[in-house]
Amino acid sequence: MRGRGNRFEKQEARVAFAFILPALLLLVVFVFYPMVRAFIISFQKLHLINPNASFAGIGNYASLLHNQTFLQAMGNSFYFAAVVIPVQTAIALGLALLVQRKFRGVGFFRTVYFLPVVVSFAIAATVFRLIYNKDYGMLNVLLKGMGLAPLDFLSNPDISMIGIIILCIWKAMGFFMIVFLAGLNNIPDALYEAAQVDGANAVQRFFRITLPLLKRTMAFVVIITTMDALKIFVPVYITTSGGPAGSTSTLVHYIYKTAFEQMNMGLAAAAAFLFFAVFVISLVQLRLFRSDVEY
Amino acid sequence: MVKTVLHVMRWLIMLAVVVIVLLPIVWMVFSSFRIHEEIFKYTTPGWHLFIPKRWTLQNFVDIFLDASRPFGRYMVNTLFVASVVTAAGLWINSMAAFAFAKLRFPQKKTLLALFLSSLVIPYEVIMIPQYMLIRDLGWINTFQALIVPQIVWVFGIFMLVQFFADIPRDILDAGKIDGASWFRIYVRLVLPSGVPALITLGLITFLNQWDAFLWPLIVINDDKKQMIQVAISSFQSLRGISWGKILAATSISSVPIVVVFLFLQRYYVKGITMTGVKG
Repeated sequence: MRGRGNRFEKQEARVAFAFILPALLLLVVFVFYPMVRAFIISFQKLHLINPNASFAGIGNYASLLHNQTFLQAMGNSFYFAAVVIPVQTAIALGLALLVQRKFRGVGFFRTVYFLPVVVSFAIAATVFRLIYNKDYGMLNVLLKGMGLAPLDFLSNPDISMIGIIILCIWKAMGFFMIVFLAGLNNIPDALYEAAQVDGANAVQRFFRITLPLLKRTMAFVVIITTMDALKIFVPVYITTSGGPAGSTSTLVHYIYKTAFEQMNMGLAAAAAFLFFAVFVISLVQLRLFRSDVEY
Repeated sequence: MVKTVLHVMRWLIMLAVVVIVLLPIVWMVFSSFRIHEEIFKYTTPGWHLFIPKRWTLQNFVDIFLDASRPFGRYMVNTLFVASVVTAAGLWINSMAAFAFAKLRFPQKKTLLALFLSSLVIPYEVIMIPQYMLIRDLGWINTFQALIVPQIVWVFGIFMLVQFFADIPRDILDAGKIDGASWFRIYVRLVLPSGVPALITLGLITFLNQWDAFLWPLIVINDDKKQMIQVAISSFQSLRGISWGKILAATSISSVPIVVVFLFLQRYYVKGITMTGVKG
């Protein structure tokens, strides 16, 4: 009997490995191996046109730290994240609160607010680029019509990043609204009723009940927003290609340009690893923030 | 009194957001029906900033008939790649998920940790060696470059693991005693009970692939093989292309997605609340 059980166990283990094997192979070949290779390349002088790689030590990293274009891109990424994380989170939470309670037509509002999430980033960016056009774009036509000064998001380096931020928030706020809605629905109504009986007004209820009980959802939203913000590329590439004067170039945009336009793979891989370091440090920071909110 | 004012304000804000959200989409769709001259003619606020005066389908006809930039072909390419990735992804990811969720085997924790660890690697960090690998395989400008590296999706595996975990082990053991193979049990018992999760995962995978941009931009430079998003974005770098054509292209490639979304909204939203995953 025992032998038989053992045979079953062995067979089950074999089957399990067979079931996992395809996914594992793909993961090793297309994720882990490239990760190791990226690390190696980052210490090499490697140009795509010239197939011979030579060891460069920390040369790539050292030159990046003096590279104005890279530092500017890094600064832009931080600026983008620093604006988008609080503003977008606040807007998404606001929208969720507006459409949380059931009322006639609530489905309409939820669906409409979510609609930009379904539109692809490339399409949204393509359309916004036309909307932002200084002379014929819808935005400036409307601004001029209201007697306001036109905003030239595409060629004024002082505000170009704001244009990209607006586009990104427009696109993503509905997504995080849905996440907040799920979080809000987990808060028991009884708490609000009790607070109301105790005479708490709406503002007090928000700060004393809603916000503290949303902390886990909030942590989740902030983590995802941070990851997305650091990785921002498509809208930059399409609307401004990093310009004017590098004012909208981001880390990923810098990596892309260095690798696939200048073909400097070694330098780009080093930039990618610095990006990875920023990415991991941000996530670790946020994890701390998360663990201290779990009651 | 205060209550009424607040109530009115609340509705005004909600409607204002509706306008902000819809304005670019409405402008995009309506402008795609305009003749070339009209787009630059009505540059003052008014109905005709949005509603075309003379409606035309010419922009749509043009983008589909332009032999140098075959728009229909881009749609078919993307549909093909997205469908294959979705089908293969559902198959391979669900098999791994079933093993992790229900089967007993040594080193399960180690393997699980290995899979999990890949989640902290952003795609942007490995795209350079991934590109070089694809080049070494001779896959540049082929669909397998777009398909094969995209199949395994660890987020998807973990979503399914959570779902499969609820299937009682007894049912599987009963199947085993009846002499069914594990593969048969997976096909006959596990997959059917996971249909809602599989629909959700399939929908998200498909939309992610339909929206894919950076990877096709890197590995495809043959115009005939291009994916729709990259193709559209390259429209506007052409000198003298009319806005009407660009907007016809963006409209026609997002309308099907919006329609699919409106029908399958429930699954899509469930996917978000289950995992918080998006593209």
